[in-house]
Amino acid sequence: MAEPTDNTELVHGMRRQGDAVVASLVGEIDLHNSPKVRAALLDALQREKPQRLILNLQGVPYMDSSAIAVLVESLQKIRRTGGKIYLTNLQPRVKGLLEIARLDAIFVLADSEEEALSKQGEGWE
Amino acid sequence: MNTAGGKRERAFELRISSDPANLAAARKAVESFALDCALGQRASHDLGLCLNEVLANIMRHAYGGRTDRPIVITAEPGERELTVRVRDWGNGIDPTTIRHEPYNPLTPGGVGLICLTELLDRIIYTPQPDGMLATMVKKRKG
Repeated sequence: MAEPTDNTELVHGMRRQGDAVVASLVGEIDLHNSPKVRAALLDALQREKPQRLILNLQGVPYMDSSAIAVLVESLQKIRRTGGKIYLTNLQPRVKGLLEIARLDAIFVLADSEEEALSKQGEGWE
Repeated sequence: MNTAGGKRERAFELRISSDPANLAAARKAVESFALDCALGQRASHDLGLCLNEVLANIMRHAYGGRTDRPIVITAEPGERELTVRVRDWGNGIDPTTIRHEPYNPLTPGGVGLICLTELLDRIIYTPQPDGMLATMVKKRKG
């Protein structure tokens, strides 16, 4: 029997800041709820067409490969217009998964949203 | 979700339906059991992630997205390792034998399989007459 989870608040505080869209993800993300994260991120990229997507992952203690796939799909989309994705405040398990997936050098990693907002031109080209 | 076992019995069985909403609870139950078996936190987390990936593959592919099919998870501690078995009654296809494009970090997909090969000491898929048995082995360190 499934334990009910609230998927309505996975993406918090999405806002436009200059050329960036900034948002926080909150909660454990797996196959159960990653489609909702996907919908929210792809919708924001389509609507706002930012040069940078900055995702604060402070509130994400765990994610699985389906969540990684959402991040990579979002990266593919933003790259079409020359954009980048910044991931901030990584928790140890999430950072470990990004390393296993060899994605730690492909996304731009930052310790905080502020640091990400101040970074320009780094990461994978 | 039905569970049996615990610290004293040192045996574990969990029966779930193939609903992705069950993933988190199943993962946490196995991680907790692994910690009880002194596997260590990092190894327990690795095992939990790999269980998640095996279960998600069953839900998406072996059962084709159906959420009402059975999955049985058992765990058995050995002297130097913890063995977790996942039984399903799906299409019986061994996901490790499917031809994939070489892993490309810039393309979605493939991370689950990388987790299984890099984080486990052993993963064996054994076809059953009516499904599949996945056996995961994670050794204790030290």
